[in-house]
Amino acid sequence: MLSLVTYLRERPGARIEDVARAFGITEDELVSDLDVLPMCGTSFRGGDLLDIDTDGERIWWHNPAALGADAAEPLRLAADEATALLVAARAVATLPGLRESDRQALLRATAKVETAAGEAAGASSRLSVTFESEGGVFADVDRAIAERRRLWIRYYSPARDEVTEREIDPIRLVSVGHTYVEAWCRRSEARRTFRLDRVAEIKILDEPSAPPEVELRDLSEGLVQPSAEDPEVVVEVGPGGRWVAEYYPHDSADELPDGGLRITLRTPDPASLKRLALRLGRDGRIVAPQELAESARRAAREALEAYDGAGAAG
Amino acid sequence: MAIAKAERLMNLALCLLGTRRPLTKRELRESIEAYLEAGSDDSFNRMFERDKDDLRELGLVIETVENLEGDTGYLARRDSNRLPAITLDAEEAAALGLAAKVWQQARLAGAASGALQKLRAAGLPEDVDPYGAHSALEPRIPVHEAAFEPLMLACRDRRPVVFDYRKANAAQPEQRHVEPWALECWRGHWYLAGWDRDRGAERVFRLSRITGKVRSRAGRFTVPVPDVVTVRETVASWAGETADRSARIRLRSDAGFPLRAKATSVRELGNGWDELEIPYGHGLDAWLVEFGPDVVVLEPEELRADVVDRLRAVAKG
Repeated sequence: MLSLVTYLRERPGARIEDVARAFGITEDELVSDLDVLPMCGTSFRGGDLLDIDTDGERIWWHNPAALGADAAEPLRLAADEATALLVAARAVATLPGLRESDRQALLRATAKVETAAGEAAGASSRLSVTFESEGGVFADVDRAIAERRRLWIRYYSPARDEVTEREIDPIRLVSVGHTYVEAWCRRSEARRTFRLDRVAEIKILDEPSAPPEVELRDLSEGLVQPSAEDPEVVVEVGPGGRWVAEYYPHDSADELPDGGLRITLRTPDPASLKRLALRLGRDGRIVAPQELAESARRAAREALEAYDGAGAAG
Repeated sequence: MAIAKAERLMNLALCLLGTRRPLTKRELRESIEAYLEAGSDDSFNRMFERDKDDLRELGLVIETVENLEGDTGYLARRDSNRLPAITLDAEEAAALGLAAKVWQQARLAGAASGALQKLRAAGLPEDVDPYGAHSALEPRIPVHEAAFEPLMLACRDRRPVVFDYRKANAAQPEQRHVEPWALECWRGHWYLAGWDRDRGAERVFRLSRITGKVRSRAGRFTVPVPDVVTVRETVASWAGETADRSARIRLRSDAGFPLRAKATSVRELGNGWDELEIPYGHGLDAWLVEFGPDVVVLEPEELRADVVDRLRAVAKG
């Protein structure tokens, strides 16, 4: 709120709309902050309270001298503020797909903030983030979005262990651990998310990209957001299979007496979990649906036939 | 209640910043309405101490000075609280604006926008169209682990911690006493590097495997913090990315694209099969089993036996 005071001091008659945007808060939040300010001041000097009011559109401060010239100077950054901004800036600067001019601007800004933050910048070295993305693919997707052009990709789907060709109209690039492109897939006529490190080959086409107007989802809860109508899969894992709960978004994970978990999750395509069942080995098994459990068993038996006598021994 | 507190903090900050000489608690109490209304001395003292800590957490440097009568006075000197002059052009401002949006963790998201607010107050050009130049790129730093915030603060303040940690394949969590050095996010997961007091060695912990609460311990670090803390290298070796041997497998021609991408050689065998040479590191057996009947391990024998063993376990159901 002190920053708000400093800001308003420099900008008499500032528009509510602009101030709220500059501070990343809603107009309502700003107005409720403004309600507090007239009760603030350095009253021990003789009751100089801030005389700030608003006509609903602009903000007026009638006695900016009330604070004295010094008190309204911009404050130094707190350690957490410096850390949050610097760590994020350093992480973004490592994104391979960032335009070079943007990267240079960010590096310059980072150095300036480091200097201005002084000691407060010290703790920021205790936190670091690396974004991962496939450089070449990233650059092509980024260019296609900027030039609004369609992409052709060969894409690997681990669920089916197959590489398919698709034409996609890219919408945006998202980095959440891995880097993904959200796009309209012309083959399935639906919105799809593609992980860049699974793109086997990519070409920018001459056709314009024309994704239908789609509402951008909030991806803060993760990219995979299973719906309640998706079929349910139940997996029981031993202690060695607990990682499943870390990697798969799930509805519930109940502790089992042996230190394992009973995990219930939803997926539009249970068959895609056959790989998981195979991977788990003795560390876990699919409890439901039956068809999925049986298909994993069948695949394992079939695989064993290739090893001499191993199938019979099992 | 929330407004009352914001008002109180604001007034305390203004008083401390506005004064040229240290103010005693009594003077501050008389200047701030909320403190006058505080009632008993006890509740005023508690309130004042909390507010002072909150302001310090927000970055205000508050000095305490003893005066001749032995009273403690407080002030926030302008020199130590003023943001040094910083001039950023519109491009640099836009780049910082993008960076400030990447946190998905409430505390850090708030801190990043707090930093931007201070810079704006100091004249940082405003992002005219924050989504314009950067529309294509939306980096996000995910933080889903409850242990993140307490560990971040412990790393910041160099405070030892204790938590229950369940290793990847352990049935029960075990209590670990750790001097936390640094947190790193890699491939979307957070890791902590630090000194493990129980093991007497440097260790890396994955935050999602911390069960229960992270608690602070009194006292200081007993081991010096190294200049460079390596988290990623350790995690990469867990993930089997440091292969030291190679394996020979047969793979069905239309299958296993990622295996092909890693192969050092691929030879067509005809009749729908290829022979591949691939790096053999930790975890390869589990990965190969995922491909079911599309993969046959030829050598080494040890890997072949591991894969057969895993397949038998699945076949039995």
